[in-house]
Amino acid sequence: MTETALEATALGKRFGRKGGWALRDCAFRLPAGRVCAVVGPNGAGKSTLLALAAGLLAPTEGTVTVLGTHPGQARPRVGFVAQDKPLYHQLSIAEMLRVGADLNPGRWDAATAERIVAGGDLDPRKRIRALSGGQRTRVALALALGKRPELLLLDEPMADLDPLARHELMGVLMAQTAEYGTTIVMSSHVVAELEDSCDHLLLVGDGRIRLSGELDELLAAHTRVSVPAETDLAPHTVVESRGTGRQVSALIRPAGPLPGDWRTTAPSLEELVLSHLRSPEAPALTPAARTEELPA
Amino acid sequence: MSAPTAPAAPTTPPAPEAPTTATASAPHLVKWLTRLHRPALTVWTVLVLVLAAALLWLWGPLTEGSARAWEHYATCTADPCHYNQYAILLYKDVYQYTTLAVLVVPFLVAAWAGGSLIGREMESGTARLAWTQGISPTRWLAAKLAVPTVLVTVGTGALVLLHHAMWSAGDGRIDTAKPWYSFETFYAGGTVPVALALAGLAAGALIGLVQGRSLAALGGGLGVTGLLWFGVHMALPHLWPTTTRVTSLQDGVKGSGIGVRTGVLTASGARVGDQGCGRGDSPECRAAFDRVDAVGYYTEYHPRSHFWPLQLMASGLLLVVTALLVLAAFRVLHRRTTASAPARAEAAV
Repeated sequence: MTETALEATALGKRFGRKGGWALRDCAFRLPAGRVCAVVGPNGAGKSTLLALAAGLLAPTEGTVTVLGTHPGQARPRVGFVAQDKPLYHQLSIAEMLRVGADLNPGRWDAATAERIVAGGDLDPRKRIRALSGGQRTRVALALALGKRPELLLLDEPMADLDPLARHELMGVLMAQTAEYGTTIVMSSHVVAELEDSCDHLLLVGDGRIRLSGELDELLAAHTRVSVPAETDLAPHTVVESRGTGRQVSALIRPAGPLPGDWRTTAPSLEELVLSHLRSPEAPALTPAARTEELPA
Repeated sequence: MSAPTAPAAPTTPPAPEAPTTATASAPHLVKWLTRLHRPALTVWTVLVLVLAAALLWLWGPLTEGSARAWEHYATCTADPCHYNQYAILLYKDVYQYTTLAVLVVPFLVAAWAGGSLIGREMESGTARLAWTQGISPTRWLAAKLAVPTVLVTVGTGALVLLHHAMWSAGDGRIDTAKPWYSFETFYAGGTVPVALALAGLAAGALIGLVQGRSLAALGGGLGVTGLLWFGVHMALPHLWPTTTRVTSLQDGVKGSGIGVRTGVLTASGARVGDQGCGRGDSPECRAAFDRVDAVGYYTEYHPRSHFWPLQLMASGLLLVVTALLVLAAFRVLHRRTTASAPARAEAAV
């Protein structure tokens, strides 16, 4: 298995010659076997990033390397579920799965695909167009997992699902990564949705990577402090600070030991994400060059 | 004749990539496509069979009936003459409808290619689904063009051949039959509809890729096909050297076929316009002819022997356009999906 599942170098994508940059100067590295959350507000560039990785879009500049190769070459080993869960509406579920078998000869795992569909109590003879949004998500996931991907890219996969189905399908995904070592990259703008299941984070804001790394490390690198208003926070990196009268509450990246009289708390993932999104000028923390190899 | 060879099946898609894993055997693309477009396949099969049946009916019984009625009419001595007018009218009606139907085929293909084959897939995102199900975008497009190319070539080719044979069977026997150079007979009985259908397929596909919207691609495919036909029709007389026929001023202009230019020939051998006279022999015209020292009429035209050369040249022209459209479609798709960014730095693994 490849050590690096996904790596971007100076990656940028602009739509149209005069359009704005949907993504710019992105650099990150995702080790294989991780479950990575791609988080960011709507329109931040999450879908663009996933489409670039899936080989659906050509980058305007820079490169993205997937499973050690060009996204186009990695295509047979990558599963992708787009945000709007496109499926052939005129086909039945069973026919849709046969399409997966036709297009992935030698890789197709019919049993897995059928099991995922059966989990939703769906009649395979039912037409796709007659399915609800959540049911379509299930069929789309079945198609993506049926090809036994080494890397699974999911764009807002859980948005349409009821809590029960969400829980069950998350379980299916976790089992997949546990059993086959599948790397999963899933985007969401709902942070809470990902906190329990992910061990790696990519925070995308305004077309740039704001945070990237192992979740534990990113959380450990930040501290929430509460100090008197006049306190000088240097030399620590201040991500966000908000005054509440005489007190200032700030999220910082400590550059060294903190004074003992500062009140410190560990931030939650949600705090970390929101603070970075609220402060676009805060420096990014993207240890792209870091070559740590931590157990998941 | 031979049906034109399919241009839309690209032998060298301009993409550097190909499925790489050694374990993967070839995807079952034909199976996938026929499953996906089964309604279109059914409609096409029924359309070709019904039209072919109508043309066969016309070729055999209807031509025979109409020809016999005309024969009867010509040799009729009774007054009033009782001949089978119904047979003549039936032939004429069915001829007109089937000919029109054959001419509409390229437009149907173009509309389908733009609207359904490519446009709808781009619009609904199912193109991306296919590209992430193991087949590359270029391979996807190649399959989507190659299979319809074969079906369209075979289907349309059979129809125009039948039409030509059917028209030839009635030639000279049915007084009201259209001449070979009439617009509808000329186009429906040659290779042009086949080439035009393939051009429509390519145009619809290209617009579908660029526009990404089903309805716009449907309209665009129709529009481009119409424009191409118009263009070819305009260029047609110039695609093969014309024959010139000179006739005396008394005989007037002669020569039946696709006319290109007529005028008067002067005593010095120069060809000048007809002085606004046509074949009129009013005193003004005679005076005008005398002024230029006219000695006869000349007609540049395409006689019947030019039918196949004109058909093949026009089809060739359309196939060149088709090839360019297909090339453009592959380039657009490659640039948008798989091309590397300029100044690419190879990332170490």
